[in-house]
Amino acid sequence: MIPIGDAVDLGLILLDENGLVSFFNAWARRHARIKSNPAGKSLQEVMTGRIDPRLIMAIREALDFGFSARLSHALHPMPLPLFPNNKHGQECRIRQAVDVTPIRQGNGKRSCMIQIRDVSEVFRREQLLRQQALQLSQDIKQLTIAQEELRNSEIRFRELAKKAPAGLFETDQHGRLTYLNEKCAELLQISTPDALGSVWLDALPVGEMERVSQRWEAALQSSTRFADEFRSSAQDDRLNWLRAEAGPIWNEDRSLRGFIGTISDITEFRERADRYEFRANHDSLTGLANRERFELRLRAALSGANEIGQKAAVIYFDLDYFKAVNDTHGHAAGDTVLRTIANRARRVMRGDDLIARLGGDEFAILLPEPPDEHHMAGILNKLQQAISMSINIGSAHVNVGCSAGYAIFPDHGRTVGELLAHADTAMYREKTRKKQNPKQARA
Amino acid sequence: MISLNALEVDALAEIFNLSLGEASATFSEIVQEEIHLSVPSVEILSREELIGRLEAIPRNANNNKLCSIAQHFESDKGFETEALLLFPERGSLEIVRRMLGDNASMIEHLSELEQDALGEVGNIIINSCMSSLANLFTIRMNGTLPDVKTHSAREMFLAHDDSEVILVAQIGMTMRSYDITGYVLFIMDLNSMSGFMKQVRHYFRIEEGQSL
Repeated sequence: MIPIGDAVDLGLILLDENGLVSFFNAWARRHARIKSNPAGKSLQEVMTGRIDPRLIMAIREALDFGFSARLSHALHPMPLPLFPNNKHGQECRIRQAVDVTPIRQGNGKRSCMIQIRDVSEVFRREQLLRQQALQLSQDIKQLTIAQEELRNSEIRFRELAKKAPAGLFETDQHGRLTYLNEKCAELLQISTPDALGSVWLDALPVGEMERVSQRWEAALQSSTRFADEFRSSAQDDRLNWLRAEAGPIWNEDRSLRGFIGTISDITEFRERADRYEFRANHDSLTGLANRERFELRLRAALSGANEIGQKAAVIYFDLDYFKAVNDTHGHAAGDTVLRTIANRARRVMRGDDLIARLGGDEFAILLPEPPDEHHMAGILNKLQQAISMSINIGSAHVNVGCSAGYAIFPDHGRTVGELLAHADTAMYREKTRKKQNPKQARA
Repeated sequence: MISLNALEVDALAEIFNLSLGEASATFSEIVQEEIHLSVPSVEILSREELIGRLEAIPRNANNNKLCSIAQHFESDKGFETEALLLFPERGSLEIVRRMLGDNASMIEHLSELEQDALGEVGNIIINSCMSSLANLFTIRMNGTLPDVKTHSAREMFLAHDDSEVILVAQIGMTMRSYDITGYVLFIMDLNSMSGFMKQVRHYFRIEEGQSL
């Protein structure tokens, strides 16, 4: 018993029926730091510190009633004054778990065995485990919160993209659609599930597709920004103008991930731009070209005619009696007269001829390919006849006439100034002639 | 199969009431928290009946294990018994962690030191109960150290013969807001049972075969 008791790696103390030490193993002696023989002494005499009263009680119960008792470390961390093997551990007891067991002896009496386990290492491990579990649960909590936030923001952006007034799309590095919102599908007139995996340009009208494809391919090849405007096949026989803009997006390793872009309907924008351009170049009342545009076109026509050795002609005319109509019937009537004159002039002249209202009741016509000079008089005559016909202004019919003159390039001048001056002079000559001979004029 | 008449059942319930009352007081003192033990109900069941009863205890869906603390007792008056204290594992975790003031632990099962602590709790309750019985009956008993195990209801009784009868005293343990039901079981063979009942009758001065 004694050598075995000394060999085990736990504390063993045997107390006789009177509670006196009969055996105290090497482990217990070492940790209790006792040098003298403890046999025959009480536990309190042997030990150099306080003993947990619960242990004393458990020993009594074992000896008197025969009950075993367990003193767990959790509830009784250090019941006996036992210390670590190192010399500096005096103040710190080792962590213990103690079992008290009665042993029946042959004489009907009981002795009591106390077993002490050092649970310091178990305690350390369990603390570590508890900390790790706590850390893990905090990590999971944070992860859950982060995931929830991510999910919310994803929902938010998906809804935003879904309801966005512009078309949004994303492609892979080969330009195949990986995402498109409702507006994009609507503008390109494709259906979302079918379109995914295809190239977004496929739905464009053939001519446009070929043109835009080249530029899109170039952007894909060079991973650079893409922007273009094109017509889309329209639902209601109306051609829509669309503008697509896209830029490359990159993976973390800087390889091309794909393109992300927008598609917007610029039909209205383009129509408005066209209107502004028209308005800048045309007279808003009659829809004829204005002075700036006329002079620009005339200059271009002259340089063209000069290059190929052709002729060009300019007709100048203003209205007779127009001021009287304005004064008698008001400005609205005057406007009606001007619009009517413009329409009649359009009908008389050829499509290539450019008719302009220079201001007030003053008009000019550019004939890029004029007839021979002796036919010019016939044209002027036709124009004057058309203009002098009665004009219905709603409340009455009015009559105006016109005085006209012309100049031919290069016969009457080589520059815009020279030609206009010549035509102007010719017109005034005509006006003067009419004033001197009103009868002929009225006829 | 042994059968008890109403008088004997009442007598048994009273015996456990006395002895578990002692146990409750001791336990409260140690954990420094007031613990109420409900009045026990007493039954004698076969192994299969008890397994059925234990399997029906509502428990945590992820954890249907029971935690048992067992001690063997031998008396000098002709009976021996295996005394068991049973809790659902979840409930035993709550008891131990509450006692140790550990509200943060997320681990779903008992650690080694927690198992030790639970062993001590069971040890105190069972010892206190048995010591009361020994006092009442004026007999001597020897008890072993507690053996703590976690297992299913059926696994728990694999080592026991089906012919053994089990004296079941059911008690509720209430600690502040927690309401944990535990069971105290005494497993005896027929010989021990009749030896035990002899002591009960002796204490209450009931004649054998006497009924109300």
